Amino acid sequence: MLRQSLLKITVTLLPLLFAAGPAAARDDATAPSETAVQLADSSAPAPSPPQGENFKSLDEEVQALKKEVLDLNRELFVLEEELLFPANTQVAVFVSMDVGEFFALDSVTLKLDNKEVANYLYTEREAQALLRGGVHRVFIGNLKAGEHELIALFTGQGPNQRDYRRGATLKLEKGVGAKYVELKISDKAVKAQPEFVVKEWE
Amino acid sequence: MLALLLLGPAVCVPATQLVGQPAPDFALRSWDGANMRLSEHSGEVVLINFWATWCGPCRQEMPLLDEIYGKYRRAGLVLFSVNLDEQSNLEAAREMAKTLRVSYPVLFDARKEVSRAYQASSMPLTVLIDREGVVRYVSEGFKVGYETRYTEKLRELLNE
Repeated sequence: MLRQSLLKITVTLLPLLFAAGPAAARDDATAPSETAVQLADSSAPAPSPPQGENFKSLDEEVQALKKEVLDLNRELFVLEEELLFPANTQVAVFVSMDVGEFFALDSVTLKLDNKEVANYLYTEREAQALLRGGVHRVFIGNLKAGEHELIALFTGQGPNQRDYRRGATLKLEKGVGAKYVELKISDKAVKAQPEFVVKEWE
Repeated sequence: MLALLLLGPAVCVPATQLVGQPAPDFALRSWDGANMRLSEHSGEVVLINFWATWCGPCRQEMPLLDEIYGKYRRAGLVLFSVNLDEQSNLEAAREMAKTLRVSYPVLFDARKEVSRAYQASSMPLTVLIDREGVVRYVSEGFKVGYETRYTEKLRELLNE
């Protein structure tokens, strides 16, 4: 909601900035003539600044304003996340992959206390990004302090192109402060099988 | 009764209200097993067609959409055909698409999440999305001649 309103503000502000550019340029263009009238009494009239320079400074101002809008956008984004998911109750689950020779990831389903909270289908491009070291935040939400159960179901293709479905369970102890959980898919070379590791980060 | 009257407008929002709005993103499994995500086709013109095996006009429309796809895919058209059959009926949907010899990707929305996001209350539903990811045209139902409208709108979007 906050983000949407911010986007609206940004969308409204940017055209204004662009509109302000030529308008301000016109104001500046008229300014030298007024100065010329005021200085008419003096014997040596002051040379008016070249118009190119005016435009250049205006352009710089517009760029600075645009940068300010972008900075504001970033700050509000952080603020929005802090408000929606306060650190005290925040829980985030990430998916990562290592090697991936024995498993081609298709989807991850997450259940928190037996309630489905996320179901994510990975496209080939996304799976490739994970193999290259990318980490995907599959879920972010709020959880009250206490013990909880997290179940992660992975589907994909295992060794010999066989459909593979595997679950991993984690007993979560949610205390004060954010809780981060990493679901790591790696290869177990000895057994020639994929391995699913659930790791907690404090 | 009063509750129905109050809830009615909120529940039955027509799909045409999506015009001008950013297209809801989704990822669905296609019939060849690959997963497809709408946002990965940002920068391309996307046509989404919602259909089901029990929908007669869909059967009529699909070969015509395939013709359009064959003609404009080189110009940057992406077509997603989203099937809304139940999980138990997916084989029949696969069979129908095979019989109609469609060459575009057929995706399955058995969980109905995507059809809900696009407010697909009548079949077929055709949605056109521009290169910026904004819904530009929505057409509910199908009658002979609608394919000409799709082509006109498509050409506009492809030329943008």
